[in-house]
Amino acid sequence: MSKKTIGRRATLGLVGAGLVAAPFIRPSYGQAAWPEQTTVPDILKGSGEVRIATFGGTMQETQQKAYFEPFEKITGIKVRAFPGSDVTKIKAMVDTGNVEWDMAQLSRGSIMNLQKRGDYFEKIDYDIVDPGVEKQFRFEYGLEMLIWAQVLAYRTDAFKGAVPSGWADFWDTKKFPGDRALYGTNSGGWPEMEFALMAAGVPPDKLYPLDVDKALASYGKIKKDVFKWWDTGAVPIQLLTDREVTMTSVWNGRMAALQAAGVPAAVSWNQGLSKRDAWGIPKGAKNKVNAMKFVAYSTMAIPQARVCLGIPYGSVNSKSNEYIPTERLAVLPSAPEIAKQLVPYNYDWWIENRETVIPKFNKWLLS
Amino acid sequence: MSEIAQPASLALAVSRPRSPPFDWRRAVPFLLAAPLLLYMVVLYALPVVAMLLRSVNDPTWTLANYATLLDDVVFQKTFWITINTSVTVTLGCLILGYPVAMGLVRARSMAPFILVIILLPFWTSVLVRSYAWMVLLGRHGLVNEALLALGMIDRPIRILNTPLATQIAMIHILLPYMILPIANALRQIDPSLIRAASGLGSTPFMTFRQVILPLSMSGVAAGTLLTFVLALGFYITPAMVGGPRDITLSMLIAQQVDQLNWAYAATLSAVLLATALAILAVARKLPGVGNAFKTSMR
Repeated sequence: MSKKTIGRRATLGLVGAGLVAAPFIRPSYGQAAWPEQTTVPDILKGSGEVRIATFGGTMQETQQKAYFEPFEKITGIKVRAFPGSDVTKIKAMVDTGNVEWDMAQLSRGSIMNLQKRGDYFEKIDYDIVDPGVEKQFRFEYGLEMLIWAQVLAYRTDAFKGAVPSGWADFWDTKKFPGDRALYGTNSGGWPEMEFALMAAGVPPDKLYPLDVDKALASYGKIKKDVFKWWDTGAVPIQLLTDREVTMTSVWNGRMAALQAAGVPAAVSWNQGLSKRDAWGIPKGAKNKVNAMKFVAYSTMAIPQARVCLGIPYGSVNSKSNEYIPTERLAVLPSAPEIAKQLVPYNYDWWIENRETVIPKFNKWLLS
Repeated sequence: MSEIAQPASLALAVSRPRSPPFDWRRAVPFLLAAPLLLYMVVLYALPVVAMLLRSVNDPTWTLANYATLLDDVVFQKTFWITINTSVTVTLGCLILGYPVAMGLVRARSMAPFILVIILLPFWTSVLVRSYAWMVLLGRHGLVNEALLALGMIDRPIRILNTPLATQIAMIHILLPYMILPIANALRQIDPSLIRAASGLGSTPFMTFRQVILPLSMSGVAAGTLLTFVLALGFYITPAMVGGPRDITLSMLIAQQVDQLNWAYAATLSAVLLATALAILAVARKLPGVGNAFKTSMR
């Protein structure tokens, strides 16, 4: 018994030390500090259920606490979450008339890419969406609901104290030696041509429309140093942990866990891409009305703020920041100080050009 | 009723003496197989056909998807990488597997133990095994650390995320498919032939060269075919431990599915399937290999 107490105290001490040393690396804030949504407009209330496809993992755990549970309590609509959201599954579901999800976490890119091939998504009912949701996040067949960033990450023990900032540094293997990893085209990914262009000196505000040939020429300069073209978020984290690379691009949310595990790695926000996930409602979803209600509820200020407290991603509702402590806000990709260093990802350009760019990239990669 | 029926059936039997009355016992195996057959047709064959049809009828009936492959550099390189990797891996399995198969057959009391060692990785998920290779082959993995400690290298060498890593990991995964058919063929060699050979003054090497090896060719052929055809479809392993350019046909198919180019993905799948079937068809005609099929039927 006494042994147990000591053990627990020692653990608490360690955790405490960790928190003091780096207050921003906590993967999540204590539940006690989370704001509560006490009322919702009657139009959001209902009955039955809504089946939501998510990306699983810690993201879904956060969503469970941030808005699945509160939504059930306040609206009376039961939430059933399914990890493994995938736009190809939605295509198959709608094609075969067997729609198993009422809504899914995707991106504007994947939604519009599929919508281009047929009528696969319901239009969003913007009458019930919170006015705090900024216009830039709204589109006809989906609503963006999470802001994240694809950024440069590096091992802090690799460069004798030198700090890389931006893609020119990433491309400079003399000043910052070691292998690299970048995002590839497996798993339906779109290559980070924006990074290649910024490395070649294109100013962040002049990226789009992307000059693909220039991007490939720039990629050519670092090709031999790119040890892995990664396809899922876990890979660059593993490469940094195992010291396989000194620098890589990463999804910012994954870094918190890495840093919490004590790996000497950091993010450079400068010239990162600010991306968004979006809710989409598959055409013919059985509980379409409930899905619309959930889309509206989950993008309200408080549910959005709760997600930000659980996982270091940003809110699409301009009023969320009132509910987020300043020190937490400072590590979110939606924080003003960070947001101004990021480049907004242009999904529309990619939807238009993906079909010619991906084969070009593949060809370049294999040459 | 039966009294009336009897003469009729007799008459039938007389008029057509060669057709015996329907024997239910002969139908039993087919009836027993029917549920599985139905299952395979409905849940496997039909979906595969539906998927392959996409290559010619999405959105309208056309062979254009196949025509574009003729000048599709990405497809051609990927196809070549796939064949190249499969050949290398199959050869690696043969060279490493044959001696193990011989050892397995000759080991008497140790045989079950050796069999377990061979099969143990066989029962582990491909994903887990690929992760294990990442731990071993990494820049700071066991292999590099050992080579450094032995002074054989002075800084870590790149093994992980190279074609070599893909080959090592694939050989490991596919070895049982090579070893077991060879061991099976070796076990069927009449020991008296080997005794006769040595009795007639043959050296062990000559016995191997002129008796054991020819008689085990059916197993070698079966193992080689099995390994090669399985290697053609590899996807997870090259994606996880392979180099930046190790893109196999299966990886390209998966990528195109994710990119929503399903007609193109179906075309690539049809090519992969046709390649595997063509290899099997050609192999059946080769002397010695046909026997392997018969042996495996027994």
